[in-house]
Amino acid sequence: MKRPELAFVWGGILLFLGVFLASQFLNRYLIHILVLIGIYSIATVSLNLTNGYAGLFSLGHAAFMAIGAYASTLLTFPLPLREAYELPKLPWFLGGPDFVWPFFPALCMGGALASFAALLIGAPVLRLRGHYLSVASLGFVVIVTTLAKTMKGITRGPMGISAIPLYTNIYWTYLWLFITVYVIWRIVHSRFGRAIMALREDETAAQVLGVYPMKYKLFSFVVGAFFAGVAGGLYAHFTKAIRPLEFSFFLTFQIVVMLILGGMGTTAGPIVGVVSLLTLRYALKPLEEHLKIYGMIELIYAVLLIVVMLWKPEGIVGRSPGKKKRPTRVLEGGGSHG
Amino acid sequence: MFSWGYFLQQSMNGIILGCIYALLALGMTVVYGILRLINFAHGSLITVGAFFVYFIFFRAGLSLPASVFLVLGFGGLMGLVLDTIAYRKLRGGPEVALLITSLGFYTFVENFMKMVVSPQPYAFKTPPYLSIMYKTQFLTFRSIDVFIIVSSIIIMLIFHLFVKKSKMGIAMRAVAENLEIARLMGIEVNRVISLTFVLGSAIAAFTGFLWGAKYGQISYDMGFLTGVKAFVAVVVGGVGSIPGAMLGGFVLGLAEILSIAFLPTRFAEYRDGIVFAILIVVLLLRPAGIMGVKEEVRV
Amino acid sequence: MLKVEGLTVKYGVIPAVVNVSLEVREGQIVTLLGANGAGKTTTLKAVMGVLRPAVGKIFYRGQDITSLSPSLRVRLGIALVPEGRGIFNRLTVEENLLLGAYSRSSREEIVKDLEEIYLLFPRLAERRKQIAGTLSGGEQQMLALGRGLMARPQLMLLDEPSLGLAPLVVRELYTLIEKIRDQGVTILLVEQSALVALGIADYAYVLESGNVKLFGESEVLKSLDEVKRVYLGG
Repeated sequence: MKRPELAFVWGGILLFLGVFLASQFLNRYLIHILVLIGIYSIATVSLNLTNGYAGLFSLGHAAFMAIGAYASTLLTFPLPLREAYELPKLPWFLGGPDFVWPFFPALCMGGALASFAALLIGAPVLRLRGHYLSVASLGFVVIVTTLAKTMKGITRGPMGISAIPLYTNIYWTYLWLFITVYVIWRIVHSRFGRAIMALREDETAAQVLGVYPMKYKLFSFVVGAFFAGVAGGLYAHFTKAIRPLEFSFFLTFQIVVMLILGGMGTTAGPIVGVVSLLTLRYALKPLEEHLKIYGMIELIYAVLLIVVMLWKPEGIVGRSPGKKKRPTRVLEGGGSHG
Repeated sequence: MFSWGYFLQQSMNGIILGCIYALLALGMTVVYGILRLINFAHGSLITVGAFFVYFIFFRAGLSLPASVFLVLGFGGLMGLVLDTIAYRKLRGGPEVALLITSLGFYTFVENFMKMVVSPQPYAFKTPPYLSIMYKTQFLTFRSIDVFIIVSSIIIMLIFHLFVKKSKMGIAMRAVAENLEIARLMGIEVNRVISLTFVLGSAIAAFTGFLWGAKYGQISYDMGFLTGVKAFVAVVVGGVGSIPGAMLGGFVLGLAEILSIAFLPTRFAEYRDGIVFAILIVVLLLRPAGIMGVKEEVRV
Repeated sequence: MLKVEGLTVKYGVIPAVVNVSLEVREGQIVTLLGANGAGKTTTLKAVMGVLRPAVGKIFYRGQDITSLSPSLRVRLGIALVPEGRGIFNRLTVEENLLLGAYSRSSREEIVKDLEEIYLLFPRLAERRKQIAGTLSGGEQQMLALGRGLMARPQLMLLDEPSLGLAPLVVRELYTLIEKIRDQGVTILLVEQSALVALGIADYAYVLESGNVKLFGESEVLKSLDEVKRVYLGG
């Protein structure tokens, strides 16, 4: 076994031990926060593949999480409650009306549906240069939340679905986080990973070297969406209630801030970002509630984002990039597109 | 069922919404043309402009012309500040840095407004002389509708003439096409870019006022979707083309209003979804937009 | 008129030009020769102020202009006609020409000069409202020259004006360049095809991998065996 793989084995064992100890000795509130950290980490690590390594700037993560959350919920929702909650029975191809999915395959299915959505949205948009993906994926968030609000027969509309079985625990969460980190690490450190990073740096040069951009971009977008879907499913089965409102642009925004603060395109960055910002959030929450200034935390997130972009764009973990192979231009304060 | 009167009435509503999108799209397309930046912060100017007018016009009781004048100035100043303190520093770096920063700015302004003016929407009372009703055989409209259409046409004409004829306007197009060569001509590129931000932001702030006066309600988050939709208008019309941006605005406004007017009522909630569905269809079928040229790859 | 002393320009850590010194005297045509990647364009861009030198100084009419912005250098009377013509393809011919005069303020003089340019390049006059991207290669080069002249430069930097042009067009172009010199404009001409450039230049520098390899009067250089072999294909 190669050394990095070995590191993952040891890391996995340590992680399991840590999780075990945490579940034994920490109080419920702290475990609650730890699980949220895990879920957000899955989302942020997966966003890192698209936005950090592949250099695409997707704002669609909330939509993929919504798809994963709703899909897995509908699959696992207990039979006796379905009627009371006016939720549909499963059609024959998903197991028939008497069938309820176990948690793990339901999560995978949620992820797969999110991937499929990413394929549909990515295929037309990723062919284009520039940041159309940002707007299109943001639009996709609007479309998905609109659908969640209006397809009342499936989603119960704006009031959302509650009484979702509590399946997510700290073990499930960190198992999935481990899988996510490993898979994305493997992707990044493969031939494929080198190709997407080459594309990020210089699309034209990469094309000359025979890297066909569309395939790579689409793949990273689709894989990112899969884990976002899983994160959404874990979230639904943890909070036990989901509403369309929760999957708005601000969910995406939070994840983006976490990623950028931690450091885009680094392995540890996303997790560092999640831990610091969620810690900050829970530390400030009593203050916000006490002062009744809602929006304060978002405001702080926004300020942090701007500050990081202006003064430390590589984030907490990222190393400052060496001087680019470009001549120093005389910037009258500004540069140019080369 | 289908009646021409209803169609005409709804078309007028669509054109008015289109005016608003078109005005916003102007500012977005020139900024995108030069910096390849989807300026999410543009939407925040709508909110800020609307509240600015609310406070100086309704609360402080300034006259309408003075308020219009001030809101244009205020918006322009905001644009200048944004460009000077943030965007200028990021130019020459990766394009995505600008995008992220503008996203940060939007979120900052929105939450700042949420804290300052409260999360509740405000009623924006149209002054009496802007809400006079006119009834004709086919159309019913208020004086505010006329005001929006006329002022939009004036702004678009001035903007068009400025970009086409004035020295600064030509320089702006030159910078958009090739920044480095523009610099060789002795153009102070940063000044030109600042000016585009100032103009775009001034117009966006004014649009916030139009929005409030027309729809009677303003809120801390009103600018977000409106701003993003304005960029959709830019894409639909053809990125980088100023006439395209205006056309895209009208197309989008009409499509949005007419689709909810003629679809069964239960689809009314799909309104925002429809706009983005249009975006995706346009990107799929005609990525260059209606009037756009194929975007050159900048190496 | 122009004096470059010990110029070094780096792209990141990689030097493109090392310790280049050259001088251009008023009223002359001086040519900068060398193969692709020898550092000719980099030198011109540094003179114009688009690239900032790592080491070295640039003097124009005795004044140290090393730290001035490009726009200030334009005001002082330096104009660069960029390689690959570098015109604004989406703008009209006339708008391109007007941009050349961007740093000047007198409207009347600009209009007067515009007419003079049209006299000099009658084909541009016919196409003044045409989008520049639709011009032929030769016409685009004329436009780039004309735009450079609109700045009323005292020193014009020409970057490979003959690139990609048919021989007949090149001859026409060089006649024009001589005409411009005769009107009192000093010219620093970068060329890859040494034969034509040496034909009209008074003085020449040869760059090789970022260094000045040879320099001297054109007549003298032309007769050197080495130049003949490497640059003149003789």
